[in-house]
Amino acid sequence: MPEIATDTTTPVEDAEAQEPRRRRMRRRGDPSASDERSGVWYPNWYWPSFIAPGTIVLIFLFVLPFYVVFSVAFGTVDFNNFGQAVPYYAPWWWSFHTFNGTLQQFYAGSHIYQDPLIRTFEYVIAASIICLVVGYAVAYYTARFATKYKGLILILLVSPFWISYLMRIYAWQGLLDVNGPINKILTPFGFAHTNFLEGKAITVILGLVYGYIPFMILPIYASLDRIQESLLEAGRDLGGSGAQTFWRVTLPLSRPAILAGIVIVTLPMFGDYYTNDLLGSTKTSMFGNLISQQTEATAGSTRAASLVLILSVIVLIPMMYYLRETKRQVEQA
Amino acid sequence: MRHPKDMSRRQFLTRAGGAAIAMPSLAAILAACTKPGSGSDAGASGSLENIPIATLDNPVELPLTSEPIAADTPIESGPLVLYNWADYIYKKVVQDFEEKFQVDVQISTFNNLEEGIQKVVNGQITPDVFVPTPGYLRRLVAKSLLQPLQHELIPNMANVWPSYSNPGPYYDLNWHYSIPYTIYTWGVAYRRDRVDDADLASQGWDALWNHDYAGEISLYDSYGDTIAITILRDGSLDVNSQDPAVINNAKEAILQTINDNQARLTINGVYAKLPAGDYTVAESWSGDIVGASIFYLPPGVSSDILGYWKPENGKTMIGNDLLVVPSVSKSPRLAHEFINFMLDEKEGTENFTGYNGYQPPFTSINPETLVAKGIVPETLTSAVVTEDMFKKDLTPYELPPEVDQIWLDAWTEIKAGA
Repeated sequence: MPEIATDTTTPVEDAEAQEPRRRRMRRRGDPSASDERSGVWYPNWYWPSFIAPGTIVLIFLFVLPFYVVFSVAFGTVDFNNFGQAVPYYAPWWWSFHTFNGTLQQFYAGSHIYQDPLIRTFEYVIAASIICLVVGYAVAYYTARFATKYKGLILILLVSPFWISYLMRIYAWQGLLDVNGPINKILTPFGFAHTNFLEGKAITVILGLVYGYIPFMILPIYASLDRIQESLLEAGRDLGGSGAQTFWRVTLPLSRPAILAGIVIVTLPMFGDYYTNDLLGSTKTSMFGNLISQQTEATAGSTRAASLVLILSVIVLIPMMYYLRETKRQVEQA
Repeated sequence: MRHPKDMSRRQFLTRAGGAAIAMPSLAAILAACTKPGSGSDAGASGSLENIPIATLDNPVELPLTSEPIAADTPIESGPLVLYNWADYIYKKVVQDFEEKFQVDVQISTFNNLEEGIQKVVNGQITPDVFVPTPGYLRRLVAKSLLQPLQHELIPNMANVWPSYSNPGPYYDLNWHYSIPYTIYTWGVAYRRDRVDDADLASQGWDALWNHDYAGEISLYDSYGDTIAITILRDGSLDVNSQDPAVINNAKEAILQTINDNQARLTINGVYAKLPAGDYTVAESWSGDIVGASIFYLPPGVSSDILGYWKPENGKTMIGNDLLVVPSVSKSPRLAHEFINFMLDEKEGTENFTGYNGYQPPFTSINPETLVAKGIVPETLTSAVVTEDMFKKDLTPYELPPEVDQIWLDAWTEIKAGA
């Protein structure tokens, strides 16, 4: 931050004067400012051009589609044409009528979207905490104690991805059925016959955990695996107990991975709809279900797009926190 | 490696390139200046206003948007693209057609008709034969998305109840665009091994609200159907209600059975989950429960366990699905042949009794012969539709957009689990 502050306050000429001569010349494309070690001169656009493919992909697959979502959300629908969306691409035609109506359903009137919103937060937070606790333990064991089974455990962790998520959730449908194996196993032990699929929060939360926990384990494992043994030994050497070493050495060192894991699992969970579609009911509808339902409904596209924008703002908050945290860590390092 | 003297040329090129990219998008932006839906754009769908919404009291002859194909059009080499509901045609009948005409039939499926319509309207799929309901016919024709049928190529229409061709159904007088694929009623499917026939008949629609069956109740995940039967359950016969209070009451009632009785919204509840034992009572199209008896019972289970109740005549809701030929069809003659094939008495009946469970409106089919031949179990006699029912019973119509929106809003609230 301070650099930016000086940049803005210092007159341009002064800044240039203070700049090392070589860098300034390279900036102007002077060949004498070539890389001294290799003796090769790169034109100005050479290094920036490396980011071009990414930029193009980002523009075509993110910026433009996202603009279309805006245009649909602030557009209208044509009832004479099966309620098809009529996007307003020009911002000066944008109409906020549907968007406002959708937004109001979160807090005013019959507020039909309020319950699903609260539910989404509850499920995502609960599922993320379970993912973190279980995932950390698994990653910790794999990194520290698995020794020769390390590779096997990692393969087993990744192996579910060989089968489509949809297929696996369908399998859970069969397992959790009222007449399914899980009920058959539990009832002899005195558990009541349970319909897990009738819209139970716990089923949906565990479904989310099941679907996303590998994404939590892998980054944490990678980070724990890289912690040098000597650091832990130093911790013990300096009189720390096993627990103290964990709290004061291992955990702080794996903090960036924990943050990354949380972001990787929570962001898609906020938009997840198929887990609830297949394992829950309308009683466990989440935010993603609202969107998916509106995209299927006649004349629902403006509302669906409005909901997408609202969800984007919601997930932006944890995302901003993550970016701020990582930036802080980089600065500290 | 470039010499710095190239700079100016490079800059020129960059700028020229930038301009080249900017010009078309500028044109697009300028085009976007006209507000979409205003001006000339609206005229394209203007003809919709000239076609009234069809009802039994106000039958409609749809205008011809083009000429039917010539009767001597050569048969195309295919493939024939059929855009249909999932599990809604017997594969053997399709194979028979493929063999007879030496063509491939490609079946694409949709899970709900709204999705199917959207894809046809967007041009995401270009089918030769499509399976809509009458409620969409007017709008499809107004958009010139369908082609008129060449009657000379469909002689098997003679097998269908005469009222379908003369004067033709209320939604398509003189059957310019459609032939009936199946007909069905709405009712309650139930497990006879768990509920007594007389008991269920005395409950009627209320069975779907009975707490005794909590956790074993299925309703269709389809707003038009489930709201309409709830209106019937509430004692009104206005299954096309435009009254927000009526629709709101239906919404509250549906939410009540979902919350108190764990009723589930499903599509395969009747034909797959009821025979499997997951549900005891279910909102049901008559064809679903007949299909369940044919195809979906677990081995060793008798079809006697399946029952179907529908309201007395005059209070039954009845509907049909259509076969139409979209105007984008690449094989229109083949499409006509396919339609004619499905109206063939042998093939159409086989489709019904071999797999589908949905009855074609053939004069040769009546409840007695179906039951006598053991095609439909005696316990499901009430699931067979007759021609006289079609003339006087309740029919779901196309709703005007602003009313449709009230129904949709009610459904949104149900689905949000509010």
